[in-house]
Amino acid sequence: MKEEKKSGLDAVDEGPVSSDVSRAEHSGGQADAGEHASVAALTEHFGSAVVRHRVYAGDQHVLWIAPEKSHEILSWLKSDPDHQYDMMSDVTAVDYGNGRPINVVYQMFSTVHRRELRIRCELPLDALEIDSVVDLWKVANWLEREVFDLFGVTFKGHPDLRRILMPDDYAEGHPLRKDFPLRGRFSRAEQTRRALNQDVERFYRPEDLSAGHTPQQVADVEVGTLASDDAEGDA
Amino acid sequence: MGLKDILPGGGTSATTGGILGMGSPTFLTSRVDFIVNWGRRNSLWPMPFGTACCAIEMMASAASNFDLARFGMERMSFSPRQADVLICAGRVPYKLAPVLRRVWDQMPQPKWCISMGACASSGGVFDVYSMVQGIDTIVPVDVYIPGCPPRPEGLIYGLMMIQEKIRQESLTRHFEHRAEEPGLVAQPRASDIEVAELSGAFGNSTQQDQLSDGKTVRVASTSEDL
Amino acid sequence: MAQRTIDLEVGRGREMGVDGNPALSPIAPFDIAEPDMSTEHMLINIGPQHPATHGVLRLVCELDGETVKSVVPDIGFLHSSFEKLGEYRSWNQIVTLTDRMDYLAPLIYNCAYVMSVEKLMGIEVTERCKVVRVILMEMDRIFGHLLWLGTTAIDVGAFTPFLYSFQQRERIYTLHEELTGARITTSATRVGGMMADLPEGWTESLSEFLDTFPDTLAEVHHLLTGNQIHIGRTQGIGAINREDAINYGFTGPNLRAAGVDYDLRKDRPYYDYETYDFEVPVGQHGDCYDRYLCRMEEMQQSVGILRQALDRLPDGPINVDDPNISLPSKTDAMSDMESMIHHFKVITEGIPAPEGDCYLGIEGSKGELGMYLVAEEGDTKPVRWRVRPPSFVNLSVIPKLAEGHLVSDLIMINASLDIVLGEIDR
Repeated sequence: MKEEKKSGLDAVDEGPVSSDVSRAEHSGGQADAGEHASVAALTEHFGSAVVRHRVYAGDQHVLWIAPEKSHEILSWLKSDPDHQYDMMSDVTAVDYGNGRPINVVYQMFSTVHRRELRIRCELPLDALEIDSVVDLWKVANWLEREVFDLFGVTFKGHPDLRRILMPDDYAEGHPLRKDFPLRGRFSRAEQTRRALNQDVERFYRPEDLSAGHTPQQVADVEVGTLASDDAEGDA
Repeated sequence: MGLKDILPGGGTSATTGGILGMGSPTFLTSRVDFIVNWGRRNSLWPMPFGTACCAIEMMASAASNFDLARFGMERMSFSPRQADVLICAGRVPYKLAPVLRRVWDQMPQPKWCISMGACASSGGVFDVYSMVQGIDTIVPVDVYIPGCPPRPEGLIYGLMMIQEKIRQESLTRHFEHRAEEPGLVAQPRASDIEVAELSGAFGNSTQQDQLSDGKTVRVASTSEDL
Repeated sequence: MAQRTIDLEVGRGREMGVDGNPALSPIAPFDIAEPDMSTEHMLINIGPQHPATHGVLRLVCELDGETVKSVVPDIGFLHSSFEKLGEYRSWNQIVTLTDRMDYLAPLIYNCAYVMSVEKLMGIEVTERCKVVRVILMEMDRIFGHLLWLGTTAIDVGAFTPFLYSFQQRERIYTLHEELTGARITTSATRVGGMMADLPEGWTESLSEFLDTFPDTLAEVHHLLTGNQIHIGRTQGIGAINREDAINYGFTGPNLRAAGVDYDLRKDRPYYDYETYDFEVPVGQHGDCYDRYLCRMEEMQQSVGILRQALDRLPDGPINVDDPNISLPSKTDAMSDMESMIHHFKVITEGIPAPEGDCYLGIEGSKGELGMYLVAEEGDTKPVRWRVRPPSFVNLSVIPKLAEGHLVSDLIMINASLDIVLGEIDR
């Protein structure tokens, strides 16, 4: 679905513009691998797993890598003494819309070498799965949960992958996707009803609180049913 | 000059309903009203349900510069069981809605509610999937204070309006003032149609016209549509 | 980067009195072994409506008596989907959203956001604008730390510092209002400059504030720093070591209290911070007490930076001279045809961005505040606006910090992390 991009006064009410699939992907940004030591070393070490390299905003180096190798590459970046990215500043995702793959973004910084680097992995919409990096950086725990909550990306190997910002039984989908409308999918009355029907105590039992457990399985709530309609209800 | 001329309202209830007449105030009830309302309005214990920026302005009102203590409200009661007026300060998302409703239900009568700020009154800047578009869909509100955030003077003005509202209450209308149906505990305050009307569609940033069962509707005419 | 420690004459032993001599501690030493009673673990729920959670935060605790066995923070009770809203707003319209995220230090968010947009677009702001933004950011650093101070003290039971800190905050509120018209939701910056230049007499008011503020800070120091009760409640509580602090993503005073000398103003400087003369307090033990000391000293250092910035404030335009970015003045727009056209275009079409993405981290009052923007060629709205909130990451460490401590210590740890739920839940 190609939307015409409006401009000027017509664009005042315009929602987020989904990108054209036909537009050249990531065409801007000169790529000069020589300026960033990690980029050069990565390209040398991992070869074809490095898909693309761009430089944006003057000095921001961004590398696209193959998602299958993401854990291996990130682990190498953390442990290799020439790079040592010990600080994971941010894990997030970008949805361009219009069927384009969702990019998972890792923003990293090395306190030892004082370098920052951004790594992106493109995940096609029918295979939104990537390895979790919680074993490398504990900070990724909540950051990946947020990406799961808002985009629907599954992180394999995450100890506790469940929603974090939305209620656990949120049935409208993943909010930050481009095909999710701003005001949600249900009517306001339905949202109010569902909100007041929530039983906030249902999500925690003493057995669930030990760290690294298998999270309490909340039954997949189908769109159109209320969570309390499900037969499995433990108090 | 008979009794009818000096008693308020012609004293009809005094002649028909007894001293504590039902319906219209009598001399005795208006004196009792005066004392009771004076006591209530000058010692309101607020229940600060502060969520966001408005909560900071509420804290600033309670601090030395604006000082709610001169209104008798420095005892911010964090337990709803001991509170009189619920000040909902800040935006309330749907995840927080049952908590707000439960806190309101836990407050004993007589109780009043202030919706402080634009977000609590109508959703404010946040016409989004997660935000309650006005807490009056969830709890009955007595005073709305506009502002983003309202200045402490604004909050104080709102509190004075509550005091005025209390001043005008009467024991003879007790059931009206304190009406609360037990069956409505934890139910939305406004009916489905009212909620839909309050957050009606406007602009094309809405794109939200789908019901939870997949049917599409533009305007809700009956509650079955919702 | 030399490690700097704060030299204070305060003993760390629990039997140590204020003046260094042994004293009878009112708080029992906490190494008495509790008899092991076979009891069930208790599940309690703190929040989301609670005076001491500093916002709508829910902490589900599993307790063994009074000791916390595990705690699970439950967030999302203030989720206002700023990031999605940002996709529907043009670059300048998002500035108003940024105040409402960290409402304790709104100018820092305003500045951080437009700095990131300017970096993405390759806009260089004027010298005056740089110094003004440094002034506003440091002023709001004090602003945010003062609220932390007041609420943490009140959590520990000390009511007086709360009133003192709010009184000082009122003075900063007045400065906010003189500059922008609003006390909290300032929205003072725009892409390419500021909403308005400093009004007359504003710098004098700020100077006056700086003259008397350190006295209040000294008073609060006197009340809390050597206070036996405060020490008993904060020393040794919620400690974390260096490697864990970095791995768990701590930034800001929390990280520095653990002994890591990392301050974005020194290590990835922006706006000529390397030319200002200030020190960065670094702690040793990583516990609540060190975090307290770090923040108190940071306020003091901010006063120094503000004085230097006020001295070097240059004259000149506050906004970039490019008519495609900054709005021309109303006088020009009303008299000159070209200016009117530029005004019209900037308002209706917005400012087009180049293709790319930009992550800019600055030292906010809570830690590393990162703004990540993604845009396509010619976009007047971001494809993605992501805020890397320092409090989100700081809060995620609470399960690790609080295990084994008492419930009252959990409250203290929560307070010492300096969280603001607006930016956690966004």
